[in-house]
Amino acid sequence: MTLVSFARRSRVAPRRRDGLFTVAAGVLAVIAATAAIAAVVPFAGDPDAIVGPRLSPPSARWPFGTDALGRSLLARVLEGAGTTLLVSIAAVTATAVVSTLLGMVAGYCGGPLREAVTRLGDVLYAFPSIVLAVLVAAVVGPGLACAVAAIVLVTVPLMTRMITAAAASVAERDFVTTAKISAVPAPVILGRHVLSNIGGTIAVQGTYALSVGILVEGGMSFLGYGVQPPQSSLGSLIQQGGAYMAHAPWLLFTPALVLVLAILSINLIGDTLRDRLEPRETRSLG
Amino acid sequence: MLRWIAGRVVSAAVTLLGISLLIFVAVRLMPGGYEDVILGPLAGPEQRAAVAARFGLDQPVFVQFFLWLGALVRGDLGISMVTQAPIVDELALRLPLTTLLAAMSLTVTLLVGVPLGVLTAVRGGGGRGGAAGRLLSAIGISLPEFVLGSVVIYVFSRYALGLRIGGFATGASGSGAAFQALILPALVLSVFSVAATARTTRDAVLGVLVEPHIAAAIGRGESPWHIVRHHVLRNIGIPVLTLLGSVVAYLLGGAVIVESLFNISGLGSYMVSALGRRDFGVVQATVLFTAAAFVVVSLLTELASGLLDPRVATTRKGVR
Repeated sequence: MTLVSFARRSRVAPRRRDGLFTVAAGVLAVIAATAAIAAVVPFAGDPDAIVGPRLSPPSARWPFGTDALGRSLLARVLEGAGTTLLVSIAAVTATAVVSTLLGMVAGYCGGPLREAVTRLGDVLYAFPSIVLAVLVAAVVGPGLACAVAAIVLVTVPLMTRMITAAAASVAERDFVTTAKISAVPAPVILGRHVLSNIGGTIAVQGTYALSVGILVEGGMSFLGYGVQPPQSSLGSLIQQGGAYMAHAPWLLFTPALVLVLAILSINLIGDTLRDRLEPRETRSLG
Repeated sequence: MLRWIAGRVVSAAVTLLGISLLIFVAVRLMPGGYEDVILGPLAGPEQRAAVAARFGLDQPVFVQFFLWLGALVRGDLGISMVTQAPIVDELALRLPLTTLLAAMSLTVTLLVGVPLGVLTAVRGGGGRGGAAGRLLSAIGISLPEFVLGSVVIYVFSRYALGLRIGGFATGASGSGAAFQALILPALVLSVFSVAATARTTRDAVLGVLVEPHIAAAIGRGESPWHIVRHHVLRNIGIPVLTLLGSVVAYLLGGAVIVESLFNISGLGSYMVSALGRRDFGVVQATVLFTAAAFVVVSLLTELASGLLDPRVATTRKGVR
């Protein structure tokens, strides 16, 4: 295939990945729905109850096998997936709100305010995410709230930077200037004109932030700074499963597979959203 | 140009100052003081006061901050509370391993990630191949290190595949042994950065391909690879360089999980074990080193971008 034919094809790029997007959305929906249902109606059994022999392999009775204490791994993975998703979604919602407010105001106002926000973001951005997360855990103590706080701190800098840039470019557009000349108050301009034009950026960055959030929660739990036993998250299950990998590899592989599927689905959804909501020139020229 | 460079350097310095302040405050906020770490819970008040005086803990907090900053500037990172050895020496012992690990991963990233990105942009843009490429690159950035690392350890400890897990050597015991022990961890670390680099390179190439001068080159009848070599590669330098900068910074400080998993006594595992033992001086020093490495590498890539493309330096908007 030559460059010319590539350039022509790229015009229809957004439609092409519908299949991948559908599968990703379906997988994520199944994981989220089963975890949510299990939290309300424990159809897979009590995740903390000892139901059988220890370390028994997957069977008809225990579809995912049992763990080192004889608890049903299926119930624990469902609980863990629920914890992981809940923590990440809560944190990323907070991130989206904070980043949108900060980024919009900074991008619209520009000047020293934008400089200050950028500088603060740079300071936080300089810490590798897992280092920042572990530092937060060391200060506030491990646990659920700490995982949420850590994810927010890790995801806010990048999302704010992206939203600031998007808001700044919207603020230069003619309709914003017109609104300013017509003496429309700044909050109204921000809410009506700027916000509605950076919605795509918020959706895309929020999706990517969600996958980072799950990654960070997993990493923290893996190092022992996330949720504490007996509560489980996918990260803590993987960490515990690692200890028994020689005798009971399903303890490692099952939660790991669920975690990777969740992150992968979210990233694929993010890719599609990016192509749809933030069409770049790369796609529009032939 | 000189003014721009000076501006970048000053702004990096400001960021560094902010980072050091943040780390200092975070460490002070951690539960359990230096006295508890050194003396344990049974010490009397006068013993605690003696330790506090020895480490300057009886001074006001902002004086402590500037004392620490002053010592930093002189290259004195303090001593470890647990081993009582100077932190600089312990860091010097661990840095070579982390650096070797980073260099190995970066080599893989450069050799695989960049060509892969160019190839997928030019060749596999459409059809089934394109979807497979996108799926693979998405898998690459979706595999957490602790999952990939655990699986690698499982596979290589279960089946004899030529590479040994564990039996790890420290930086002091010969680079040959260290190199061999670092192959698997380096590969685990590379998966993410290869995928991320391939994605960025691909986007950059796609961005260049639509420019008018490419259309002109196609019109002149130049062959695709001639176009790639002469018109595309020279124009994707900046985004790729920026990404590689953050990969380097990440590898230098962020290999915390891989180092813990593979028992590599490098910088990352030093930091985590220090946190576990509440060895605050070490935590301060290692986190600062990591963040400072990021800032310095970012500054260098930014300056290099300015050299590659003077437009970056003249229009303020060109920067990030």
